[in-house]
Amino acid sequence: MEVKRVFSLLGLYARMDLAWFLRDTKHCLICILGDLLSNIAAISGVFLLALRFQNFGGMNDSEVLFMLSYLMAMSGIQEIFLRNCNVSYISRRIGRGQLEHMLLLPLPLPLQLLTEGFIPFSGNGTLISGFILLRYSLLRLELQPHGWWWLSLTGSLVLSVVTVIGASYLFATSAFYAPVACEEISSRVFGVADALKIFPLSGMPLGLQITLCSVLPVGLLGWFPCLALLGKAPLGLPGWFPLAFAATLWLITLTLFKKGLRHYASIGINRYSAIGHRR
Amino acid sequence: MPASASTATPPSDIAVNLEQVTKRYLQWQRSGQVSNTLKNLLRPEQRVVVALNQVSFQVRQGEFVAYAGANGAGKSTTLKILAGMLHPETGKVEVLGYDPLQQRIPLMRELGVLFGNRTELWWDLPIQSSFAWKKVIWDIPEATYQHNLEQALEMLELKPLLNTFARELSLGQRMRADLALLLLHSPKLIILDEPTLGLDVLAKRRMIDYLKQLNREKGVTVLITSHDMDDLEEMAGRLLLLSHGELAFDGTFDALRKLTTIRRHITVTTDSQVAPELERATWLRSDGFAHLYEVNSDPRNMRLLLGELAEQPGLVDIETGKAPIEAVVAELYRRWR
Repeated sequence: MEVKRVFSLLGLYARMDLAWFLRDTKHCLICILGDLLSNIAAISGVFLLALRFQNFGGMNDSEVLFMLSYLMAMSGIQEIFLRNCNVSYISRRIGRGQLEHMLLLPLPLPLQLLTEGFIPFSGNGTLISGFILLRYSLLRLELQPHGWWWLSLTGSLVLSVVTVIGASYLFATSAFYAPVACEEISSRVFGVADALKIFPLSGMPLGLQITLCSVLPVGLLGWFPCLALLGKAPLGLPGWFPLAFAATLWLITLTLFKKGLRHYASIGINRYSAIGHRR
Repeated sequence: MPASASTATPPSDIAVNLEQVTKRYLQWQRSGQVSNTLKNLLRPEQRVVVALNQVSFQVRQGEFVAYAGANGAGKSTTLKILAGMLHPETGKVEVLGYDPLQQRIPLMRELGVLFGNRTELWWDLPIQSSFAWKKVIWDIPEATYQHNLEQALEMLELKPLLNTFARELSLGQRMRADLALLLLHSPKLIILDEPTLGLDVLAKRRMIDYLKQLNREKGVTVLITSHDMDDLEEMAGRLLLLSHGELAFDGTFDALRKLTTIRRHITVTTDSQVAPELERATWLRSDGFAHLYEVNSDPRNMRLLLGELAEQPGLVDIETGKAPIEAVVAELYRRWR
């Protein structure tokens, strides 16, 4: 995959997104503001609990705020790069028989999936609010981050996105075999992740912590990497554990996804939904 | 075996090559009755549907080929196999010299595919954004892009629609915009599945004219499916007719007519609403002063018939026509059922 081609395609989708922003500025701004408010609302409950009950979930209120802002920034990256065209919610495209459109383009599928969800203008509300909150939480923590720490933060954020997308794609492979029943399975994955990832797990029983960092890896989206960044990697695991987990997860996902794709091409999915193929 | 097989073609001249292609589907049969719950769970009933059975044909570069058949005959399956969307169970497929499964990306640079029931346009964007998108995705050189775009906009009368959202276009406008999008990268072969579906007379006319012009002037190979046999006859020089997944006919439309007993038609217009009785023609129906007959097109019979007509009082006009292709194909579909 040529790096130049990736940037050329990202540029194309950025221009298309900007065109929407310029053409429909009012609605676009409302969308950004809506994202911002709903994200703050989504994390405020846990943060208020952390303020009221010190050491809530085994973390102090500043650490909880850091974790929540980290999660918001993570969602922001995901939204900017992968929200459009149901790239994150891939089971919808599989279940609706819309992968056929991708097969008609002279581009490898991974390159299409990596680029066509990019919406840097209309999808930036969450990332901006996440970064503002992240900066504030670092001030509260009285941390003096250095270059390497910022690099680790960026890497962790990307890994968290890679992990949740990997889980979405892993479950979405079922849509190759049961397109009707599993069309919305990716949104269920994100629903579970959104509901659980905001809770600090430090006060939970060890068995539950291990489960939530392996079988149902919501702990790897925010809790584990944040503690690792604060120099308190939990469960006696090294800080690079999320990287090893993400690599393993994607190895399994890619194997099953390729198998599912072969099944798709051999059986076909006769439930094409003609409402614009990227919806 | 098809009723009339085309002659073998040198490999370099072949745009599409199918050899012994078979494709079967499994259909789950579920009754929905409580008594069958356990059976549905443990051993659901399956039905094997043969979509294509040992289908072989070749299309030469520059040909305009109609691909027809009754519902469920296997047309769309064939086109999906040619476009690399479906894998054949057995057989060999080559499109423009490429294997659609192994060489999808180079093939897509030279192939254009349009399915009438779906769109490649960006739904929530003006159609000019879709054109600009295509230019980057296909990496089309600026000069080629501008030339093709200008020509398509002109021929398909799309200039006034450039800033309209795809979702706000009528069906005919959308099909024209999709066709323009399809042609921007100068495809050598275009595959069209029911492109005239739901179009009004004018929109259909525009599309047919443009496709004929592309084939004639640029030598673009066209493989098209439609249920409208009159449209297909107007566009295509060769017809491939599928029946129950098998190639039942390969040849010209006139050759197809010879396979049936349906004969030439003649319309006689008189100054009376009563149809004249003719010895050498069979009356079919009358519409006001116009009376439709079926005739044996043997030249001797035609001469005698014209003589007979000349003696008819009140004769206003005579119009002869080939056996309607729709009726010919309908009879063949009935025969093959």
